[in-house]
Amino acid sequence: MSDNGLSRVAAACLAATMLVTAGLPAVAQDFKGKTLVVGTWGGDIERLLRQNAAEPLEKETGAKVEFVLGGSGDRMARIYAEKANPTMDVAFVNIYEAPQALKDGMVEAPDPNAPYFKDVWDGMNNGCYAMSLVGLGIAYNKKLVSKPPEWADMWKPEFKGKIALSSYPGSEGDGVLGVAARLAGKDEHDPDAAFGKLKELTPIAMTYTNLDEIFAMMDAGEVAMAPMISGYVLAALKTHPDIGFSFPKEPGPVLVRDMLCLVKNSPEPELAKKFAALALGVKNQTDYAEQLYFGPTNKNVKLSPEVSADVIDTPDEVQGLLQLDWPYVISQRSDWTQRWNKEILGQ
Amino acid sequence: MPPSILLLLPALALSAVVFLAPFVWLASTSFRTQAEGSLLLADGLSFDNYIRLLADPFFLEVLLRTLAYSVITTILSLIVALPVARFIVTRAGRLKGILLALMLVPLVSGALLPSLGMLHLMGPLGVVNGASRLMGLPTVKLLGTPTGILIGLVQSFLPLMVLPLVNTLARLPADLEQAAASLGAPATAIWRRVILPLAMPGVVAGSVLVFCATFTSFVTPQVLGQGHIATFGTVAYQQAGQVLDWPFASALAMVALVMIGLLQVAIAIGSRLIRRQEAQ
Repeated sequence: MSDNGLSRVAAACLAATMLVTAGLPAVAQDFKGKTLVVGTWGGDIERLLRQNAAEPLEKETGAKVEFVLGGSGDRMARIYAEKANPTMDVAFVNIYEAPQALKDGMVEAPDPNAPYFKDVWDGMNNGCYAMSLVGLGIAYNKKLVSKPPEWADMWKPEFKGKIALSSYPGSEGDGVLGVAARLAGKDEHDPDAAFGKLKELTPIAMTYTNLDEIFAMMDAGEVAMAPMISGYVLAALKTHPDIGFSFPKEPGPVLVRDMLCLVKNSPEPELAKKFAALALGVKNQTDYAEQLYFGPTNKNVKLSPEVSADVIDTPDEVQGLLQLDWPYVISQRSDWTQRWNKEILGQ
Repeated sequence: MPPSILLLLPALALSAVVFLAPFVWLASTSFRTQAEGSLLLADGLSFDNYIRLLADPFFLEVLLRTLAYSVITTILSLIVALPVARFIVTRAGRLKGILLALMLVPLVSGALLPSLGMLHLMGPLGVVNGASRLMGLPTVKLLGTPTGILIGLVQSFLPLMVLPLVNTLARLPADLEQAAASLGAPATAIWRRVILPLAMPGVVAGSVLVFCATFTSFVTPQVLGQGHIATFGTVAYQQAGQVLDWPFASALAMVALVMIGLLQVAIAIGSRLIRRQEAQ
């Protein structure tokens, strides 16, 4: 094609674009052409955020919301790497990552005057805004384990070799170490006690990376118990009648939390705040609880008794949870990862 | 500057942006450390990451294990690929195109899909063990074992061996074999003394590709190893994606790159020596 032809095509494209944009209804011009970038986990979380936060925001402001899906480690790497020139506005991370990100100046400190700050249970916005509350409990095969187990039951000789653990590093592994340390009369600040106790569970039946595989193994009787984070697990249990989930009492379930972070100096701070308000709002938090069994952090959420029974949604329930010293845990991650590789997996 | 060098410019420019720049960044990060109690990189350069890597026998073990997997995968791929390549070249006839296209499928489908497929084949409740169970045979543990990972690696990287071999074997003149046969050489001697020596360039090229791909592989050991088996790729991922110790992960990646670089140099020198010997 000649140069002349090319430029003619370009001109036609330009004209067409102008025609199309001119024909659009003139809603909320203020954020038109702007894009909010939100980093989160894929699957149900993305679906609910899209439906309850992104779509209403797009309708209200004329902006576009772009999701970047992946693990929280990817997002941490991205916001640290881009600290001079961030391209992500909102990042969902784990409870143990948020205080670190705030300390390193990567995210905006939660604003105590923001309405969505006040809606969240007191003392929950550590580092970023608390998005949901879930606890590490025990999924178990009802045929092998007669009643909802306590943590100590995992160490009973009849279950030797039938306990599964998640891959490490991760909240599940840190939680199990915290529990093991307490069963040994110490806490997570004594890693020798934690690893010594946890090592008694080896050889572990399997390292699970997704629910399908662990539930299949549990249904087959190859795994008796596995520490797991409530939420997805409880949702998935509806199709596995032989698997139960126990919130232990001694110590209580380990609190794990998703956090919503506003990235510091991000390109669209106003849109990010609007998104946060919708994500932390009653509608989205109710859907999180009803569909994903993620406990709401918003105290205005009212749940039906059936849903409430399965999620952590009252201050009393939160009081019973075991809280780890996450900043300490994350500072130990590197050493613990190697110890886990060697002592728990026997690599 | 000869004008012909302009032909290289687009590729060079692309490499500079998508390979060289990140590579320099990776190399420089590997000499940094994170400040105490922070994920931010501290000022100053040091060898701390490399010292930690060398001082801990765990990483040496991981290195040796990864090397062992790479060597075994290369040998197994060669054993499987030679007959396949020979068949494609000499016997496939009109099927040749179809067979080559089938060989390419694992390459173009990425590492994840085949690995996930393998997961269902090899799982304790998967196709293989399910069939054994039905027939009353004992089950075999494949997931989370070196055997399982090696099966997955050979499956993933076999095309990298087959394609160079097909290329070389296709160029061997058929008269050479006929001449050897007419002089009374048995088939084994023809293979050993005619086909294999002449196919050496393909064998070397395929072996280098499979070795390097295995050495740096991540998805296959991660998915099929089930977290039980640490290789260079999985440890680097663990450090970068989960521990968030980016400088240390960079050092791990640098070691892998240097190892591969050394291998390339060794092969270049080795093949030059062989050629010189042949010339004499």
